[in-house]
Amino acid sequence: MQSLSVISVNVWQIIISLCNLLILTFIVKKFLFKRIKKVFQQRRDAIDKDYSDAKEAREQAEEARMNYEAALAGAQQAGEQIISDASRSAERRSNEIILQARERADQICRQAETEARLEKKKAEAEIRREITDVSAELTGKLLEREINADDHRNLIDSFLQDIGSDT
Amino acid sequence: MRSLNKKSTRFKVIDGLLIAMMILPMLAAICLKVVCTPASDGIEISGALIYWEFDGMPLQPLIISESQVNSWAVIITVFGLCLYLTHGLTEKAETKRQLAAEWIVEKVEGLVGANMEGERDIFGGYAPFICAIMGISGFSSLACLVGLFSPTGDVNVTAGWAILVFIIITYYKLKGGLGKYLIGFTKPVPLFTPMNIIGEFATPVSMAFRHYGNVLSGAVISVLIGSALRGLSAKILGGLPGVLGEFPLFQIGIPAVFSIYFDVFSGLMQAFIFAMLTMLNIAGAVPWEDWDARRAKKEKRKQKKAAKLAA
Repeated sequence: MQSLSVISVNVWQIIISLCNLLILTFIVKKFLFKRIKKVFQQRRDAIDKDYSDAKEAREQAEEARMNYEAALAGAQQAGEQIISDASRSAERRSNEIILQARERADQICRQAETEARLEKKKAEAEIRREITDVSAELTGKLLEREINADDHRNLIDSFLQDIGSDT
Repeated sequence: MRSLNKKSTRFKVIDGLLIAMMILPMLAAICLKVVCTPASDGIEISGALIYWEFDGMPLQPLIISESQVNSWAVIITVFGLCLYLTHGLTEKAETKRQLAAEWIVEKVEGLVGANMEGERDIFGGYAPFICAIMGISGFSSLACLVGLFSPTGDVNVTAGWAILVFIIITYYKLKGGLGKYLIGFTKPVPLFTPMNIIGEFATPVSMAFRHYGNVLSGAVISVLIGSALRGLSAKILGGLPGVLGEFPLFQIGIPAVFSIYFDVFSGLMQAFIFAMLTMLNIAGAVPWEDWDARRAKKEKRKQKKAAKLAA
């Protein structure tokens, strides 16, 4: 085996070395850089995903809060509505009750009046009969004689009729 | 780490195979060298051993020497290292090797970004190329630590890389148009043309020779120091009888100290310098204004054509 001299230029050796560098570049690119870059990309994607997830969660929370606030406001309004409705209906009802009571009172009054009138009439008739009886008896006693009872009655009735018409 | 304990047997077997893939090519290259090295006593400073010669090629015979074989061993080793570092990648980076791989990628991309990216980002794809240059150059220079001939100590190897860089540089210079490129040689005055042409070729030549010269000189100095120390031990211990007289006392440890500078530091430094020069030369080669003008002109021509077609 012999050696090359210290400086010896050989075209084929130069070409081989050039190709060697190209091959190593390819190897380094494919088996080191691409793989590591892929990992970097994965990591970046994961971080992006985390960020977007967090953002989404915050948006959801915000939305939930808005919904809750809207619901709360709605509930407040509904409560007010209910209260006002209730008070209005209560007022209406009380008016109705008062009206009914008044009506009923009027009715009772009227009834009482009618009854009183009837009573009065009854009493008048009673009184009239009693007066008739009494006057007949008195007259009988005064005159000490029997008069015709029927005549007598007719007489007194006509008398009383006159009185009644006067009154 | 618990995750390490959880790894399956299959994972461990593949790891072992990848480690073997890193080590075996170097061992094979060492064996080949041991088998093929001719026996010699004296100090010999020579180039790479020729393993195989094929005369049938045009121009020059195709020679497969130690530098080619060691280069291939280095390529396989780096390939194995890439596979080992990226074996079992996870999104959360649980292993040290993944952190190392990520560190390498980030550092090289940062270096490329810092040195090549001007106002426009068109050189992002050069990171693997720069990483490959650093890897092959560094590992080639370090091959001498295991007794192999450094492929970077062969001018053909570094010349091949420099020519590749020169092709890339010229590709970017031609982006401004062939005419502009040729006229550029006559500036500032036509008298400078020969010098400009020499200057153009000086870039790859200087890159190739700088790298090759540094590594080879390191190797030569190592050999010289080794032989000098052997002579010194022979002088001092020569009076002793028998085996003791030939004991190479000063050759133990002392050459390693020099080796740290001449082989390790110088080799890695040259790998870094070669990568830096590659980046700066490529980034500096782009004639932005001419390129923009050419692109605008092309766009205009296209629009005119489209208008003609429409009419």
